[in-house]
Amino acid sequence: MRITFPRVLRSEWTKLVSLRSTWWTLAPLAVLVVALAGVIGNGIHRSGGELTHASAVSAAFLPVDFAVLVLGVFGVLQMTGEYGTGSIRSTLTAVPRRWPVVAAKALVQASLTLPVSVLTCAAAYVACQAFLGEPFALRPVLGAAGSLVLMGLLGLAVGALLRHTAAAVTTLVAGLFVVPALLGPALPGNREEDVLRWVPAVAGQAMYSVDGTGAPFKMFSPLTSTLVLTAWAVLLLAGGALVLHRRDA
Amino acid sequence: MIEVHELRKRYGDRLAVDGLSFTVRPGQVTGFLGPNGAGKSTTLRMIVGLDHPTGGTATVNGRRYRDHPDPLRQAGALLEARSVHRGRTARSHLLALAQTHGIGRRRVDEVLALVGLDTAAGRRAGGFSLGMGQRLGIAAALLGDPAVVILDEPVNGLDPDGVLWVRTLLQDLAAEGRTVLVSSHLMSEMALTAEHLVIIGRGRLLADTTVAELIDRVAVGTVLVRSPRAGELRDALCAAGAAVTTTEAGVLQVARADATVIGELAARQGIPLYELTPRRASLEEAYMDLTKEAVEYR
Repeated sequence: MRITFPRVLRSEWTKLVSLRSTWWTLAPLAVLVVALAGVIGNGIHRSGGELTHASAVSAAFLPVDFAVLVLGVFGVLQMTGEYGTGSIRSTLTAVPRRWPVVAAKALVQASLTLPVSVLTCAAAYVACQAFLGEPFALRPVLGAAGSLVLMGLLGLAVGALLRHTAAAVTTLVAGLFVVPALLGPALPGNREEDVLRWVPAVAGQAMYSVDGTGAPFKMFSPLTSTLVLTAWAVLLLAGGALVLHRRDA
Repeated sequence: MIEVHELRKRYGDRLAVDGLSFTVRPGQVTGFLGPNGAGKSTTLRMIVGLDHPTGGTATVNGRRYRDHPDPLRQAGALLEARSVHRGRTARSHLLALAQTHGIGRRRVDEVLALVGLDTAAGRRAGGFSLGMGQRLGIAAALLGDPAVVILDEPVNGLDPDGVLWVRTLLQDLAAEGRTVLVSSHLMSEMALTAEHLVIIGRGRLLADTTVAELIDRVAVGTVLVRSPRAGELRDALCAAGAAVTTTEAGVLQVARADATVIGELAARQGIPLYELTPRRASLEEAYMDLTKEAVEYR
């Protein structure tokens, strides 16, 4: 009877799947994303006109732009929910070294959201292309799913850093949507591309674009963007673990 | 065994715990007492590693709590009643804690039955009453069959049955040879449960003593005297240097003279006595006396 990392993983898995809110967040979100993708495909199809390959593919993932926010908030709540309810005290007395808690939460959350995201994005693609006629393409589907999972982890990290739901959600929304929107106009035109493609929200979108197109500037390629967003998530999670380790619970 | 040595905790410019040292031994219930804000909870939180000490050390069974490979086996703690996610069932909550140490489902059901929550195990903790929350917290503390049990105000919110149950449980745990540390701001509760007392005020140690010793330490006891010639006796006692107060006709409260002195003085003067009762200070008074300053300057 002693703490091991696989045991902490099992514990966090139990915690994640034993909350109804987990299923009440993920299931309706999946349905909504797929339905919206179908509606968007239908709308574009009816308005007619020629679509490039890239914009036909990315049309399927327009709902993902908002779904990343839901996943981000979901991630935030994995951490701030523990502080809000006081269960963090139980968690940290069971695992007083603390960092395994953050690592386990990240792995468990990723292993639940990854299959859900892959299935959702694949279904969304199929629903949309039923109207637009692009053949099935695995890479953009995986890119979209990957960006959802990573945004969820980003949320988890922000939750660990800030602890309070309201503060963390506000920060997440500001970081993902407000900052990039303000940063564009604030930067001189030639610097815009250099800075913005490093921003998490932009890197996330680039992951499910066709070769980094679709923005008013050149984004990184999907693969590079995946690395950029992964780096953000890992960096912030490490920061979250450090903060958890050093502060009083 | 819990050993606290020169423990300090600073919040901003306030010292919540200020050079606290004491040892809690196995086999008995130790009461951890102090007025509200004395630093009890902060000390307990530092013992189980939730708060980092500003200075000093707190060890459980010879090591810092967090340095044990099996902390739940070493010590179980109930710190605040609400340490549960409201959306999780009692059983899932305990199971998640148990899994970190590879403790099985059977033990989870065992502690649920032990605290009387077996029928509520599948209900979500958000709907629990304060008392049920308290029982769930105690179940979590006992999950690892720990050598040290730490409970912060465990009877808060419990009905009389529950209070009695906790009292018996604590004594049973101590009788099994465990170290039991229970905090309370109520002396009356501790007087019934604890054998040993650690009393703190404003973050400092005020007393580390047994219940019996504490009563003996109390400064003044008074003697109640009943006599048909109380007026005469009062004058004689005052002349002998005692302090006398009267609350009703024929009854005197005498301080600074014990029963022997009063009885002999009355005999010499030929004053009959109907009652001569030494009144020891109660544990409550002893405690109030001890913590008076700590409360006043808070």
